Amino acid sequence: MSTLTKKPGYFLWFAILGACLLAAFGAAGYTFWVGHEQAFNVNRGVPWGILISTYVFLAISCSGLCMISSLGHVFGFKEFETISRRAILLAILCLIGAFGAIGMELEHPFRMYYTILSPNLSSGIWWMGTVYGLYLAVLVLEFYALMTDNHKLSKITGRIGLLLAIAAPSILGAVFGLILARPFWHGSFLPVYTIITALVSGTALILLVMYFQHAVRGIEMDEKDCRVIRLLGRILRLVLFVLIFSVFWNIIVGLYGQQPGIYEPVMALINGSLSANFWVGEILIGLVIPLALLIRKDRTPFSTMMASMLALIGMFFMRYDMTIGGQLYPLRYQTEGLANGLFTYSPSVSEVVLVVGCIAFSALVFTLVEKFLSLDLKSEHHP
Amino acid sequence: MKKQRFAIVLDTRRCIDCKACTVACKVENDVPVGGETYRNWVTEEPVRGTYPNLGQSFTPSQCNQCENPPCNSVCPTSATGITSGGIVTVNPDKCIGCKYCMLACPYDARFYDSEKGIIDKCTFCIQRTLVGGIPACVETCPTKVRTFGDLNDPNSEVSILLAKNKHRVLKPELGTKPFLFYLI
Ligand code: SF4
Ligand code: SF4
Repeated sequence: MSTLTKKPGYFLWFAILGACLLAAFGAAGYTFWVGHEQAFNVNRGVPWGILISTYVFLAISCSGLCMISSLGHVFGFKEFETISRRAILLAILCLIGAFGAIGMELEHPFRMYYTILSPNLSSGIWWMGTVYGLYLAVLVLEFYALMTDNHKLSKITGRIGLLLAIAAPSILGAVFGLILARPFWHGSFLPVYTIITALVSGTALILLVMYFQHAVRGIEMDEKDCRVIRLLGRILRLVLFVLIFSVFWNIIVGLYGQQPGIYEPVMALINGSLSANFWVGEILIGLVIPLALLIRKDRTPFSTMMASMLALIGMFFMRYDMTIGGQLYPLRYQTEGLANGLFTYSPSVSEVVLVVGCIAFSALVFTLVEKFLSLDLKSEHHP
Repeated sequence: MKKQRFAIVLDTRRCIDCKACTVACKVENDVPVGGETYRNWVTEEPVRGTYPNLGQSFTPSQCNQCENPPCNSVCPTSATGITSGGIVTVNPDKCIGCKYCMLACPYDARFYDSEKGIIDKCTFCIQRTLVGGIPACVETCPTKVRTFGDLNDPNSEVSILLAKNKHRVLKPELGTKPFLFYLI
């Protein structure tokens, strides 16, 4: 590991992430000082902004990481066991980053204890908070078990973790899907779609970790590593294909019949305020280029890594468009505050800095842990 | 005595869009001045017809004090609740400001009051109505668009109005069972 510290790129990495975190602390302080109304661009029409969509992105990535890593320590596919520790660690950090993002969006996060003192079991957010809370505890236990090579505990926590990994994003989807007032979200599509997309983010993140853990340390990938990367590349290709159909039908259903409340947000996606996000972010960066890279027979670990990176960026846009898109259609006839009959929202500087901060936090702590703890299994210890 | 169930009946044909109700509400309930902070509003419907045969309707509205309020179902901390008279209220001490209720309410009746740091909405002026008074918007309306009363009392003005006139509620298909009634 000493080779690590000598690399200038390594210092740059820490410097950038550290700067992002500092900026985010500044933005958080500013937000508490002047209030959400001043610091954020959310408003009466669009109360949930980019911090909520980032929460969705990170929380669902966390679940995806667990689903994929469970192939190793739950389902016993030996090839995947090498990634378990890093996957679970990253899952924990993504979830903490996610909580940070939603915590910043809440007006009074410190009153959260009322979810225990006076819970409302019919609330989607209550279930989401509770399940993700439990899930974090299980993940921490699982990480401990993996680090101490406690196979019995890691198997049990891995199984519970996998169940929660599937349930949690699904409940998160239901937070949106249960809202009858917002036709663009309402229905059973989102609770299922979130599980599919969890697999996309999870696979992409694990691929990134696999690639960089070697590249950064200057370690040659052995044949086994290359095989795992190829395999993960195939999984990513499959889930991206499935995702194409989710996106396609979501759009077609919205256009077909022009149902108010669905049609307008879909039009915002394909030809309105969200169209750049949709065509460039979701379709080109998130689906087309990654698939083009992944269907090539001669794909290398590098091109697979690139595909993952792009797919992940695409997922970020997808979360954003889903979260914002559902709020654009006004609930009643009004003219003020609208552009082309829809609300508009674009994130403020503070919101963007906070988002960057939450992601930087996960990345920074991950690299720090990687530096100070051994995340390699004994069997593959690199000198 | 039977439990009270408050409602407002609106005869929008009388509305002249003077917005006295919105001003009265802001004063009575200390709602901050600002484009997005209001408990009630008057929708100016599009102009109908071609000159010289023109018409326009104005539709005042506010929280419907729904019998099956989605804002109540979604609140994770039970900050939102239903109190006497069927009035839906927010307990500011319990509210975490997640704004889920703002998204769940199909009528855009809720907003964040950053001055007080609370999610706010119409309460039918609960401070008046629980002691036998009527809401400020009802009291102030110069053309008497609004009538307030107890629907569980068959002899109340609102019960009689609804018995004698055809009426509608907003977005009935969503199953919220609103208690703002519009005469047609
Ligand atoms: S109108 Fe909206 S805020 Fe009022 S009770 Fe119904 S759902 Fe709740
Ligand atoms: S913003 Fe407050 S009242 Fe509304 S759902 Fe959240 S906790 Fe409940």
